[in-house]
Amino acid sequence: MPSPSTSSLPGTPTHCPYCALQCAQTLTPRDTAAGADSARAGQDGQPPLVVEGRDFPTNRGGLCRKGWTSAEVLTAPDRLLMPQLRTPDGGFREAGWDEALDLVAAGIRTAQQRDGADAVAVFGGGGLTNEKAYALGKFTRVVLGSRLIDYNGRFCMSAAATASNRSLGLDRGLGFPLADLGGADAVLLLGSNVAATMPPFVQHLEGVRSRGGLMVLDPRDSATAKLTADGAGLHLSPVPGTDLVVLLALIHVVLAEGLLDADYVAERTTGLPELRTATAAWWPERAEAVCGIGAERIRETARRLAQASPSRGGRGAYILTGRGVEQSTQGTATVTAAIDLALLLGLIGREGSGYGPITGQGNGQGGREHGLKADQLPGYRLISDPAARAHVASVWGVDPDSLPGPGVPAVQLLDMLGRPGGPSTLLVAGANVVVSAPNAGAVRERLASLDLLVVLDTVPSETALCADVILPVVQWAEEEGTMTNLEGRVIRRRQARPAPGQARSELWILRELAARLGDASGFPTDPAAVFDELARASAGGRADYSGISHARLDAEGSIQWPCPGPEHPGTPRVFLDGFPTPDGRARLIPVEHRAPDDDVREQAPLHLITGRLLEQYQSGAQTRRVPSLLAARPGSFVEMHPLLADRLGVEDGEVVLLRTRRGETRAPARISEDIRPDTVFMPFHYAGEGSANLLTNDATDPLSGMPEFKMTAVEVLPVRSLERSPA
Amino acid sequence: MRIVVIGHGMVGSRFAADLAREDPSAEITVLGHEDHDPYNRVQLSSVVAGKADATSLALEQADSPQVRVLRGVRAVAIDRERREVVDARGDRHPYDRLVLATGSAARIPDIPGVRIDPDPAHDGLISGVSPLKDLDDARRIIDAAGPGRRAVVLGAGVLGLEVATGLAARGMRVTLVHHRERLMERQLDPDASDITRGALERLGIVVATGVDATGITARDSRLTGVRLSDGSMHPAELMVLCTGTVPAVALAAAAGLDCEHGIVVGEDQATPKDPAIFAIGDCAQPPEGASGLVAQGWDQARRLVQAWSPALATGAAPVPAGPRGGDLVRVKAVGLALVTMGRIDRAGPSGHAPRSVRLSDPAGGRFTEVVVQDGRLVAATVIGDDEAAASLSAAFTRATPVPRDPVHLLARPLAVQGAAGTARPVTEMDDEEIVCQCNGVSKGAICQAVHAGSTNAGAVSKATRAGTGCGTCRLQIEELCTATKAAAAAGAAPDGPSREAAPVQPPPAMAAARAATAPEPADAPEPADAPSTRGGGGSSVPVSTSSATAVPEPELV
Repeated sequence: MPSPSTSSLPGTPTHCPYCALQCAQTLTPRDTAAGADSARAGQDGQPPLVVEGRDFPTNRGGLCRKGWTSAEVLTAPDRLLMPQLRTPDGGFREAGWDEALDLVAAGIRTAQQRDGADAVAVFGGGGLTNEKAYALGKFTRVVLGSRLIDYNGRFCMSAAATASNRSLGLDRGLGFPLADLGGADAVLLLGSNVAATMPPFVQHLEGVRSRGGLMVLDPRDSATAKLTADGAGLHLSPVPGTDLVVLLALIHVVLAEGLLDADYVAERTTGLPELRTATAAWWPERAEAVCGIGAERIRETARRLAQASPSRGGRGAYILTGRGVEQSTQGTATVTAAIDLALLLGLIGREGSGYGPITGQGNGQGGREHGLKADQLPGYRLISDPAARAHVASVWGVDPDSLPGPGVPAVQLLDMLGRPGGPSTLLVAGANVVVSAPNAGAVRERLASLDLLVVLDTVPSETALCADVILPVVQWAEEEGTMTNLEGRVIRRRQARPAPGQARSELWILRELAARLGDASGFPTDPAAVFDELARASAGGRADYSGISHARLDAEGSIQWPCPGPEHPGTPRVFLDGFPTPDGRARLIPVEHRAPDDDVREQAPLHLITGRLLEQYQSGAQTRRVPSLLAARPGSFVEMHPLLADRLGVEDGEVVLLRTRRGETRAPARISEDIRPDTVFMPFHYAGEGSANLLTNDATDPLSGMPEFKMTAVEVLPVRSLERSPA
Repeated sequence: MRIVVIGHGMVGSRFAADLAREDPSAEITVLGHEDHDPYNRVQLSSVVAGKADATSLALEQADSPQVRVLRGVRAVAIDRERREVVDARGDRHPYDRLVLATGSAARIPDIPGVRIDPDPAHDGLISGVSPLKDLDDARRIIDAAGPGRRAVVLGAGVLGLEVATGLAARGMRVTLVHHRERLMERQLDPDASDITRGALERLGIVVATGVDATGITARDSRLTGVRLSDGSMHPAELMVLCTGTVPAVALAAAAGLDCEHGIVVGEDQATPKDPAIFAIGDCAQPPEGASGLVAQGWDQARRLVQAWSPALATGAAPVPAGPRGGDLVRVKAVGLALVTMGRIDRAGPSGHAPRSVRLSDPAGGRFTEVVVQDGRLVAATVIGDDEAAASLSAAFTRATPVPRDPVHLLARPLAVQGAAGTARPVTEMDDEEIVCQCNGVSKGAICQAVHAGSTNAGAVSKATRAGTGCGTCRLQIEELCTATKAAAAAGAAPDGPSREAAPVQPPPAMAAARAATAPEPADAPEPADAPSTRGGGGSSVPVSTSSATAVPEPELV
């Protein structure tokens, strides 16, 4: 179904398939573009679409290497073009859709007849469009009747979402347009490496860098931390697992030195006395011995933020959090402290200042708003709220009592698989959990214990290769829909070419399964129609999309939610008039630092941290299939400081063994002065030997279910010495 | 279980709050003789220095119906036989377990004229003289302080240094008086003391060592001067007594419990004579000795809670001490970074001799000494380097492995250096080096594009994608355009012979792959700016290296 735009326009305006920045692109079929760009077209092996950056408020025409090469994934040599069924010898055979879908439906029926509705679980992904996320949530609750759905966004945004909802009454990611950052005097980036993960973002930091106000908290001298060099700002390098201590000390300094915006705090917040006492014990000199950042540097950071704040006549300040501080067993507490700090300085709900988490996945925002989360219904409604259930049930035309209750967060869900009382069938859509989940070795075992694993994917990802049934689905340039970017901006994804082979949209697959399991009437396959239903279901919810439609987006470009009516212009900046809490005030919430779950010890004396590379994305299922990206970053490695390498007796490129309580793996050492000598870093994009998540901790934050990816105690040994000694 | 806590200070209040959280069956009564809520005494010197607001000192306390706090109620006796605490009103508080967290009092030296009432039981002091032990003291000191006024600070321990620098920061003319020749003699050796003295003098503080205060002068019952043992007279409107503390043991001693300097307790914080009575914080004297630091008291509180909590209990054995740091001493002085940690006589399990190296830079006001044993930092002193102080403190408390050659610890390598020097000009880069990180475009590829007719940054971006990501390299591209065109006009090739060797349009990925596989210098950075590393140190340092040359330790793997 080619979109109207492909026939009438030379290029299709859409957005990049990867991260939450959702850079605007124009896709042009290569033959059409040949005249315009003869240098890159007309050679064998070139992708079918030419990608160009398109001017948009977020990327201003820029793209990174992943975006420029995104079209190459469309024609990956191992692209899935037909359903695949597991054969008795452990391989796969191609099958027709009817055979595959009949088999899946029969498996679901058998499991549920035997063990009840929760015998089938669903695991979604933050890369799915709003329409697909919504339909998957509805399918789980209405057709399967199962409470067990969650998604990989749990690994991404759950801590920030939990904290934002608790403190501010709302989680919209950035509650302001990204471009607002450009006018600030100070930006504090906590655990985010945007220069590598979403490079065009950096354009918005130009202003604050020119004023010397970029402050970056990262154990590594990352590409983003380097942006603070030469007077552009400050880099704070904490001991991994101690980010919360830094924040508590910053709050302490703001209160001790009277730097707070007293009028704002009095009018717009509650909880100051409790926060005061909770942070009284974190004077900078005490924090210093825990986090390794000098007391004076902590004071300077607090003072710079305060000077930039509006109450002191500054141009404004922003505090932004990323996965580096959020992926922790105290992730919610850490984000809460960041919000506390922003509230004390009077930053939130004021034009030109603010707090926001930097969403990671392409539709990590929309996914968490419209039904992929275990405890939520569309519109960011709680599934445990009777009024929310009644509203959504009326849109869905079902009895509210027929809707299941809340399920369990991702790590817990994965751990239940195949166990007594746990689900025996799992549907995975848009996730590669055997690479991306913590303690991935255990996840692989859980998947193997299932009766039926169904994976919807575009390529044979590592998780798809564990499946009994693989269903081939379309990619971004082959479908219509919407995404919600990191600033709560709803944007259009448009089709630029037909789907290859027999790849189908998830919307079609869900309708076909619904038909086989009972009633397909609630599952239209036209994305615009699905969106209209989503909009109705979200009406009155926290994430209200009811005034948005595909047609309106096509006419206006993009709209930031909430948008409660067709005449409503959308909401670029939230909280300007108050907080959506019962009393209209934000909550200052005291939090406490506890050590990481698996802290360094005699047998594992080093900190293992994980993160992303510029040239790869998430589990690498897409980017490892782009030859130029794979050539740039062909495999996993362990980044370590020369002093640590010297201590271990390891040369650059030499393979080392890493051992944690979860497991062990090997990877070559990459020696770099950009990391603390007490810490090693691994990228998490790789499968098999060197896969970082074989090592990471699946302990979770009690409030959000966020696992502790970012700090694991590890032992590192040179393989050479192991092979020398007979033991 | 009925638990009575005597003392509602920093340690007692935290213990009660933590125990209530961990043990829902505990019924806790806290007797605090002060009227106000617990507050952060550690920060009193920061209040005096004007760095902290007095309102920011209140500490968290138990918020639980399990905890009954009796403020302004002084315990006067422990009836061990009946297991009851008697308060000043005569009320009795039965306990199953009693925790003494009575803290300590300031030691008031015996200087003629200082006390209003010669009876040492009364703590009334002449106006203008004060210790710094509570908020009232801090307020008194601040009231007496002011630019141009004169102060004598008696005692150059940690608190004395903090108060002296704090008053100097308020513009006072400060004389710091110490009865020993060495400042902070429990922590500093003579060299470190000399450098500290120099740093204080640079802040305008007069340092008088080896002398004591022998008398005062006063007018209208207000201090006007202090006389020292060398006969000198120092006019002063304020004298702050930083002459140590005395653990509050009277209650325990009267109850027949063993008291030496403090209340004697075992590793489990219990008194040997009465297993139902425990002591934590400044009043306690544990086997390893009391440090007088709140970190030790808080760790004792944590361990006691953990040992008692049904959920956390690990068995009969005492809960091990937490992360090290009980003896980490950080001077919170304005304009003077000073931290000491550890003891060099603490032998490691292997029996390997500790290695000690030091950097001593009197003119620069810097001093760092580290002692390494079995691959861990066991002691250190840092003066005048905030970041080194921070990174060594973290390495010490977390016991993370340190570099094989301890000399590297002297030059702040443990944190990422960050924000270092200016980047090399793009014109001096090699062709293979990546200019646009976002798109992996090398300098050579950009120069090629310029040669091929892309004469400005926009055209280069279109041809190579360089500068189309984060955009931070656009200036460099512009520079390359200018330089390449200028060189071409002059008939020279600025990018050297590889221009010919380079492919017509090198795929960005190739360049990136080359860059990724190029070996990076693996050598550890030498502390090039370290002015001197000389051997030796105090007599208590058994081994030292005499130069920066690495002396390998035995392999640990």
